[in-house]
Formats: sequence, C-alpha cells, structure tokens
Amino acid sequence: MHKLILQVTYSFLLRWFLKLIVGVKFDDATFLKNTKQFIIVANHNSHLDTMSLMAAMPSEIIHMVKPVAAGDHFGKTKFKGKLTNYFVNALLIKRGRDKENPENDPINQMIKELDKGYSLILFPEGTRGEPEKEQPLKKGIGIVLSERPDIKYVPVYMKGMGKALPKNDGLIVPFNSILKFGEPTEVESTNVVEIVNQVEKSIKGLKEKTANNR
Amino acid sequence: MKELLHLKIFDNNDILTVVALIFGILTFATVLFYVIGVLKPNANLTELKSRTKSWWVMATVFIAATIVNTNISYIAIGFLSFVAFRELYSLLDFRQSDRRAIFWAFIAIPIQYYLAYIEWYGAFIIFIPVVMFLILPLRLVLKGNTEGIIKSMSLLQWTLMLTVFGISHMAYLLSLPEIDGFLSGGRGLLLFLVFLTEINDVMQFTWGKLLGKHKIIPKVSPNKTWEGFIGGIISTTIIGYFLGFLTPLSTEHVLLVSFSIAISGFVGDIVVSSIKRDIGVKDMGTSIPGHGGVLDRIDSLAYTAPVFFHIVYYIAY
Repeated sequence: MHKLILQVTYSFLLRWFLKLIVGVKFDDATFLKNTKQFIIVANHNSHLDTMSLMAAMPSEIIHMVKPVAAGDHFGKTKFKGKLTNYFVNALLIKRGRDKENPENDPINQMIKELDKGYSLILFPEGTRGEPEKEQPLKKGIGIVLSERPDIKYVPVYMKGMGKALPKNDGLIVPFNSILKFGEPTEVESTNVVEIVNQVEKSIKGLKEKTANNR
Repeated sequence: MKELLHLKIFDNNDILTVVALIFGILTFATVLFYVIGVLKPNANLTELKSRTKSWWVMATVFIAATIVNTNISYIAIGFLSFVAFRELYSLLDFRQSDRRAIFWAFIAIPIQYYLAYIEWYGAFIIFIPVVMFLILPLRLVLKGNTEGIIKSMSLLQWTLMLTVFGISHMAYLLSLPEIDGFLSGGRGLLLFLVFLTEINDVMQFTWGKLLGKHKIIPKVSPNKTWEGFIGGIISTTIIGYFLGFLTPLSTEHVLLVSFSIAISGFVGDIVVSSIKRDIGVKDMGTSIPGHGGVLDRIDSLAYTAPVFFHIVYYIAY
C-alpha cells in the first residue's frame, strides 16, 4: 500500500507536475534499476530537489529509496515528522553527531538503513543555502561510504530548482530546470576526506557537463 | 460529452483537404530522406530526419488539439504560450526579487486566453499591452529593490508581449464571429496561418540551402541569405494563393496576407535569433528534437499571428 501511494504521488502526480508546470527536465534513470543499492549525492538548493529526485526514480524501486532529511526542520512536531516519514519515505536525522547516544547518531542511522537494503538520497552540502550556489560538502557522506565501501554512489547535479522555489519562500514560480545523473561510482579510497573530495569532484564534473550543453 | 467527441473536422471538406495535404507532405519528406539515405549513405541526414520526425509529432498534436475541437484549442495554445514564456524568461537572468512579478505574469496567461475564449475583444487587445504594462512595474516597485529595476520591467513586459500577446492572436482567430458562406471559420484561418508560417520557414530554409549565396544579415543569422528570403516569399505567396479557400478573403487580399506572413515570419525568426546570440545559446531549449526549444519553433508565429490577425480583422470583420 505504501509503495503504491509513493508510486502515485511521485512517479505519476509529482513527475507530471514538475515536468509540465515547473519545467524540470528529467534525465533517464532506468539504469538505477540495475544498481542494487546506491547512495544518491546531489547539490541542494530547494525543497524541489528531494521532490524531483524522488519523481525521477524508477517507480519499481521508489519504496526502497529514502531521502535523508534534517530532523530539526521536518520533524519539528511529531505530526510533521510522521507525515514526512510516510509521504517522503524520509529518514530524519540530527544535523550533528551524537556520540553519547549511538541510537540517535545520524551516521549510525544511515548505516542501519543501508544494512536493511535501502538506498539513500543525501545532500552532503547540508542546508540549501543561497539559490544556485554550491557549498563545501560535509564529512558525513565520507564516513558512511568509508564504512560501507561496496555501495556505489550516484552523483546528481540539479540546476534551476533554487530559482523555482528558493529558501525562505513558499511560492513556486515555474523555471526551466534540469536534473542530471552521473554514473554509479565506487569510492577509490577509505580515507574520509579523500572520499568527500571524490564525491565533490563528481558533482562538479556533472555541473561542467551541463553548462557546456546549455 | 457528445459535443466534445463530435469530430467537426469531418463536416468540413476544405479543412480535411489541407489536413490530408499536411500529412502528404510529411510522408513525402519522410520517404524522400529515407531514399536519399539509402542512395547516398554518406549524406548527413540525421538532423533533417529528426526534424521531420518532430514535424510529424507537432502536426499531429496541432491538428488534434486545434482542428478537432475548438474548446481544447484555447487550452493547447495557452499552454504553448506558457512553455515559451517559461523557456525565455528562464534564460534572462531575472533578479530573485522579481519572482512575485513573474508569478503575476504567469497568471496573466490564462486570463489572456480566457478573454479570447469569451470573445471579449476590447479586453483581450488591451490586457497585456495596457493592464499588465501598468500593473507589473507596480509589483516590482512594491518589492522595493530598485537596483536593476528598469531592466526587469522591460524584460518582463517584452517577454510577455512576444510569447503571450503575440501567440494569443492564434486563439482569438477561433473567437471571430461567423461570416455567412464562410464555412471553415476560425479553424480555417488558424490552419491557414500556421501552415503558411511553417511552410515559409521550410521554404526559406530550402531555397537558402539550394541557392543561397548572398548573406542577408550575417551578424545575426549567418545561414540566412537573400536567395532563401526571396525564394521563401515567392513560394509562400503562391502556396497561400492556393490555400485561399481557408479564408473569407478575395484573391488580392489572400496574396497580401500570404506576402505579409512571409515577411513577418522572417522578421520573427531573426529577432529571436538575435536574442539567442545575446544570451549566448544556440537553441532556446531541448524539448523538440532537431528544432531546439518551443520558442525556436514558434518564433515566427509570434510575429505572423498578430500581423495576420489584424489584417484579416480589418478587411473581413
């Protein structure tokens, strides 16, 4: 039932809304069906980012993909948290590490979901920040990938969503946007900092590719 | 429901003839490129082939949406305006503080088409050039960011004029009152306008490829030549003459509007080309394979639609 609701909401309703009204150009994502498990790492500018990524997922695997979101924002009230959990299929985490409380530690939470077989959507920049501006990546992605080095990451570059729905504004104004997938990639190192650099480079590479095709 | 499903197309032989003609031309082009491809495997026909393929889709959608049922046509043409407006403004570097005014400009699109739908000519013709012209700057001023405000005011109004006001004249053709003895009506006029505008693009392109030598405006559009321009005008005027049965006009007037479509189509084309040069893009978008964005295809229509509409409106209505 949950799978069906996710499929109708994202693969159908939101996908068409984003395509026709907002003007998002989706990249083909069927290759994800052949990638057993993955972590999507994307730049982050807008609430539309998560929506677009979920809408871009092949509908067969959508229930196995969990976007990672900040608990302080989306889990403000219990109700909001439950709602986000159900309709976004989200994994709500704390922004900082929690060494005293391993149950609530964001890294442990993410690894737990990966071990259950879920794929994750992660925005390593942390917050959305200024529209259309990249920020340095946080370390979390590096730690997770160094703990589970056999899981591939898929870089994604999104452009325009930050103009269609920027931070601190609730009004969607249609803007031609693009969502571009990179290849599923394995980490080349076990060092956290090197992994973060590799991921950052992959996203930057996609950005340059899309800029040239403008 | 019965009214919706009733295919008016079969009541009218004139329109049916032209629809058959359109699909005939497309079949001919498809076969032609296929044969050339077999005879000369080295010829690079990929772009022509993908263009023709897109033409099939566009012609089918256009005929389904405008000729079959008039009510759907308003929505379809309005959506075309919406996509073209979104495509163009997205490339124009608006400020973040312009978002509210841009949203209002988006709201103006359904209103403009609704005015066409209810056949309120007086409001239709002033809504964007007068009402939105006065309101949009106010919305920008209320936001309070004056740095670069002149640019935003002008860009927004101009984008709205090109992609919405101009194109919406296609929709108002469908709202023109009936004339005794002229059966094709607004749908005939719309078909005449779109067919002739597109055939003009194709003719200018073809003559330019075949004979083109003297560049007409090299700084804007290096592929446009005098040979293509003149060949296009002559062909379009002649084709228009034979399609005159779709309009309520006399022969001289048919020649006049056909000639005007050929000229204004060329102007629309080079105006949009110059914008693309300024922004630094080759195409406005990627939504139509082989053609570029929506605005790359309807650039000439943004000019021919108002020109054709007002000449016909003055002469026949």
